[in-house]
Amino acid sequence: MRKVALVGAGVSKFGVRKATYRDLVWEAGKACFDATPGVLPKDVEGLVVGSVMPERTAFQSHISSLAAEALGIRPSALSARTEHMCASGTVGIRYAYAFIAAGLADLVMVLGVEKLNQPSGDEAILNMGTGVDREWEAAFGLTAPPCFALAAQRHMAAYGTSEEQLALVGVKNHTHAAKNPNAHFTKGATLEQVLCSRMISTPLRLFMCSPITDGAAAVLLASEDRARALTDTPVWIRGTGQALDGFQLTSLHEDYAHWPAMRRAAQAAYAMAGVGPHEVDLAEVHDCFAIAELIAYEELGFCRKGEAGPFVAAGRSDYGGDVVVNPRGGLIGCGHPLGATGVAQAAEVFVQLRGEAGARQVTDASLGLTHNNSGMGEHVVMIYGREP
Amino acid sequence: MSYFRAIDPFPLESAEHTKLHEFYARLAGGRLATTRCGGCGATTWPPRGFCPECASDRFEWVDLPAEGTVHAFTVQDAGLPAGFDGPRVFAIVKVAGHRIFSILTGADPGAVRVGQRVALAPLRVADDPRGHPRWLPAFRVT
Ligand SMILES: [Zn+2]
Repeated sequence: MRKVALVGAGVSKFGVRKATYRDLVWEAGKACFDATPGVLPKDVEGLVVGSVMPERTAFQSHISSLAAEALGIRPSALSARTEHMCASGTVGIRYAYAFIAAGLADLVMVLGVEKLNQPSGDEAILNMGTGVDREWEAAFGLTAPPCFALAAQRHMAAYGTSEEQLALVGVKNHTHAAKNPNAHFTKGATLEQVLCSRMISTPLRLFMCSPITDGAAAVLLASEDRARALTDTPVWIRGTGQALDGFQLTSLHEDYAHWPAMRRAAQAAYAMAGVGPHEVDLAEVHDCFAIAELIAYEELGFCRKGEAGPFVAAGRSDYGGDVVVNPRGGLIGCGHPLGATGVAQAAEVFVQLRGEAGARQVTDASLGLTHNNSGMGEHVVMIYGREP
Repeated sequence: MSYFRAIDPFPLESAEHTKLHEFYARLAGGRLATTRCGGCGATTWPPRGFCPECASDRFEWVDLPAEGTVHAFTVQDAGLPAGFDGPRVFAIVKVAGHRIFSILTGADPGAVRVGQRVALAPLRVADDPRGHPRWLPAFRVT
């Protein structure tokens, strides 16, 4: 297999945007091309677009061709859309990676885009129910919050994890997002604000949840030769893994605080990269809800099972700790435009490993990890390095 | 033309639409049923027309007990989809070794506990587009 690197990345402003689906494609594409001197749209051989529900939110399918035309890309090697609910962006990066590693393309853009906020606000939440099983789950009104609430309830009962420890994830990620001009929320949050915010699904409160967000992100992946020709500071894909436990809630581990698929995905990525969890400098993890970040510390191997609460409380997942988790602000602070999230995570690792993250810079960052999930039983992990 | 919105959030349950129709027919009569594989004999939840173990598509219907216990639950107060009211008690109910995802109807949200006994309480929802009645397998605290 050939080596593959990120050579460019760009992110749109995330938020409740007065922008069309195509506007968001333009913004992320423009930001990515601006960050990649020497590359014009006509040079890009392939495009993969991660997008979950444009059929319902933009009343539009045929997304990859739309985005290619919007950006002036004329795919000669690869054109595809990936839909894997909230992990669609990272799943797209894996496709582009595999195509380049196999020698089928040299320069591919992966773009994630989602326009979730609708003129009718309640429709946005209704649409989110498409991500769980229609017949056996969504027909009862299920969307994501109660699923992750089951995990939080169990983690609290089994390990004594406290509401305050859950809240500290919200505080940390809102605080990080305040240094990210592209984040949905940029005002930060105090422990009191998080603990006093509205209850969504017991025990998860509003500031422990990611919001409904519009946004887009793009990265450019290149083969080793092309990457070295384009930049002195490529960011190398070192490892990748994906694993699934199941789709329906009742197919997952009986103890909802255990997410074995994340552990398997991480182990595959670590083994491929030849590194261990304690070498990771920064991790962009899928904090769709605060409990997901706590369980990620455990399943990714940053701490032992059951110790995530004390881990966040001691500051070990923040600047100055063992590993900086979600320096861009995570899904809680940046928002979660489904298909764009995994690509935005990669974009953050890109700027961090190049030392270009400004106020968010993690000192001497040389190894970065991204974790993207699409439910508690479906996980994708990527490991990126400054060295190949 | 005004702002247009249309979606049917409930399953198609009638015999002309699903091979799992028998589940819904029994549910309307207060029974909780599922499928047993005609190839290997495995009983699964939810009912299914294809066996994940032996790849058979032959199955027969078996009744499960109409009672179980709460394995896990949460109460959603806000952020529910349009057309669904809170507070809503979502629960994983343990029935004869199977985990069943459902809601608890008529429960005091503050009084629900893991291990509590619950019973099947079929929930009538909107008729299908051709006027056939539809039911979901909800539970109530006993
Ligand atoms: Zn079978």
